[in-house]
Amino acid sequence: MKVLRSSAVTLAVGYIGLGLAALALFAAPLWYAWRVTIQDGRNEILQSDAQRLTEVFRREGPPGLVGYIDTRVGMQIAGERLLLLADAQMHPLAGNLAAWPASVPEVPGTDIVKLDLGHGQSDVAVVHSTLPGGYHLLVGRDTARLAPLEQRFWYALAGAVAILSVLGTIGGILIRRALMTRIHGIRQTVSAIIQGDLSHRLPTHHSGDELNTLSQTINGMLVQIEQLIHGIRNVSNSIAHDLRTPLAELRSRLEELSLTKPSSEQTFAEIDAAVADVDRVIRIFNALLRLAEIDSGLRRSGFVAVDMAEVAAAAVDFYQPAAELRGSVVALQSEAPAVIRGDPVMLAQALGNLIDNAVKYTPEGGTITVAVLRGVAGSIEITVADSGPGIPQAERAKAVERFYRGDASRGTPGVGLGLSLVDAVARLHGGKLSLDDNHPGLRARIVLTQDTPQVARTARASSEEGEFRHEPVYP
Amino acid sequence: MKVLLVEDNERVTQFVIKGLQEAGHTVDHAPNGRDGMFLAASEPYDVIIMDRMLPGEIDGLAIIEALRKSGKRTPILILSALSEVDERIRGLRAGGDDYLTKPFAFGELLARIDALTRRAQGEGAQTRLEVADLRVDLLTRKVTRGDRNLVLQPREFKLLEYLMRHADQVVTRTMLLENVWDYHFDPQTNVVDVHISKLRQKIDADFERPLLRTVRNAGYTLTSHD
Repeated sequence: MKVLRSSAVTLAVGYIGLGLAALALFAAPLWYAWRVTIQDGRNEILQSDAQRLTEVFRREGPPGLVGYIDTRVGMQIAGERLLLLADAQMHPLAGNLAAWPASVPEVPGTDIVKLDLGHGQSDVAVVHSTLPGGYHLLVGRDTARLAPLEQRFWYALAGAVAILSVLGTIGGILIRRALMTRIHGIRQTVSAIIQGDLSHRLPTHHSGDELNTLSQTINGMLVQIEQLIHGIRNVSNSIAHDLRTPLAELRSRLEELSLTKPSSEQTFAEIDAAVADVDRVIRIFNALLRLAEIDSGLRRSGFVAVDMAEVAAAAVDFYQPAAELRGSVVALQSEAPAVIRGDPVMLAQALGNLIDNAVKYTPEGGTITVAVLRGVAGSIEITVADSGPGIPQAERAKAVERFYRGDASRGTPGVGLGLSLVDAVARLHGGKLSLDDNHPGLRARIVLTQDTPQVARTARASSEEGEFRHEPVYP
Repeated sequence: MKVLLVEDNERVTQFVIKGLQEAGHTVDHAPNGRDGMFLAASEPYDVIIMDRMLPGEIDGLAIIEALRKSGKRTPILILSALSEVDERIRGLRAGGDDYLTKPFAFGELLARIDALTRRAQGEGAQTRLEVADLRVDLLTRKVTRGDRNLVLQPREFKLLEYLMRHADQVVTRTMLLENVWDYHFDPQTNVVDVHISKLRQKIDADFERPLLRTVRNAGYTLTSHD
């Protein structure tokens, strides 16, 4: 039963149950207080009646009381009060009962007894007093007279229960309908997304309720997923494109070889060129694998204390001859020690990529400045500034994307993954790569913080598990 | 030199055996972990080339660990398609002496097993290195060629020291990156070549006989032979 399993129905049933329990908790003490009050009041009245009759007896003796009782019984307000005067042997002298009831205790006092008043047994409240001279006086009242009141109380309670149940059920149905409408909307959107159209978003409004908040969160997730998928699509396109060029060259080279069958010396030269083409493809793959390795965040488990000033000094030392060859110079400004927890290999590669780029694009006689500065709260700022053509403002965001190759890079070697690798390494270390204008040139800046974001370590276990299932790549 | 190749891929096997034989080495081949384990434990080899992922129950790392536990000190070069830094560290921790990722150039493999066997023969606590008339004193850090003093930058000295220690062997760019600069990544550009040409300027330019030579498609070699 779908309806019974609906969360709205469960909710409504639960609320009705709770409402009934609350009602019972409210009615029970009320009922008790009411009963006590009524009983006490009634007993008081009976007792004061008995008192009055006792006074009549004292004042006027048995005949006076007999007359008094007869008068009252004669006024036809019988049924209202039970009155009975009996002598010491329990023979009735006056009153509206034919005989002294056996159910009345012999000891004087106030009791509730069963009496037959002509319409079956009923509960009667009685006050039994003994009068001087051994006389017995019984004053009583049929409690059934209060039954209609009690009945009304129960009717009212039943009515309340009925109203509560009906309203609760209607409320449940309404909530369920509202919930189903919104869930239906969500389900339709999700189905559309499952079909492959990621542009759909869950319906939201300004109510700010839980479902709306949830929808907004899911929409945020969808935006992120769409961007990622878009990025992956772009990357696959770029990979395909970037690999096609060397593969096309390789193919035509080999085909030409088999068609023209040139001299063996020329053949060897062509084969060497073909190997170089393959190496280019392998290089692109290696760079991609490296990026994937960094992106997975697994390296973070192997973080150690790294002095970025030392890393920078080594990198400057490494690239200096290449810069000198092009007539430029690499200058280093650093505040040592600039220690951060990180992956020394990745950090060196990232810095190396930045310097390599700077060396490539700096014109003759230019200067490349590498700076490692300590920032606030243990953060470390690394900048690599060159005096090359720079990257136009509009293209800077794109420059970090995989396989981006700006106009300035035409004719220079590289696979267009350098800056994305730097960005990935920076993000692995809780930082970010930003590109600014150096007037002229490009200023690449990474700020690394001590607190690196946490990643799910579970990915590590699965990678180890899958180790021997990798399909190896052979030459 | 006697080499054991533990590798399951036929193309790679063929390619490596042929290349090694041409270089004058004898090669035994095991196509799976069990045979590899048996041969490595029973026969004396100068060097073992070990694939990591092998058919059967025993993988390359398990063989290496078992060999090291039984006291075998044969140099082992791990050959693997697993290129991550962590995988490399795991391989070396298991007892491998060097780690080469597939796909590889044969020149790289040959240069590395040459370097491994040379190392196994023991470089000892040398204080002086000599190739023809080029001398390096590791204690005073003095470099001379003939009767001339050569002034080298610290990094150039380290580069020369590595080349001298591997004199008459081919040293690849990757080996230089890893051993001289401790860079375990591809710097994308030919920076190593620039360093070599700077060093060459200092040790060879003014002399009749060049010692530091480029080996096509492989790397460099420092040698007095022609």
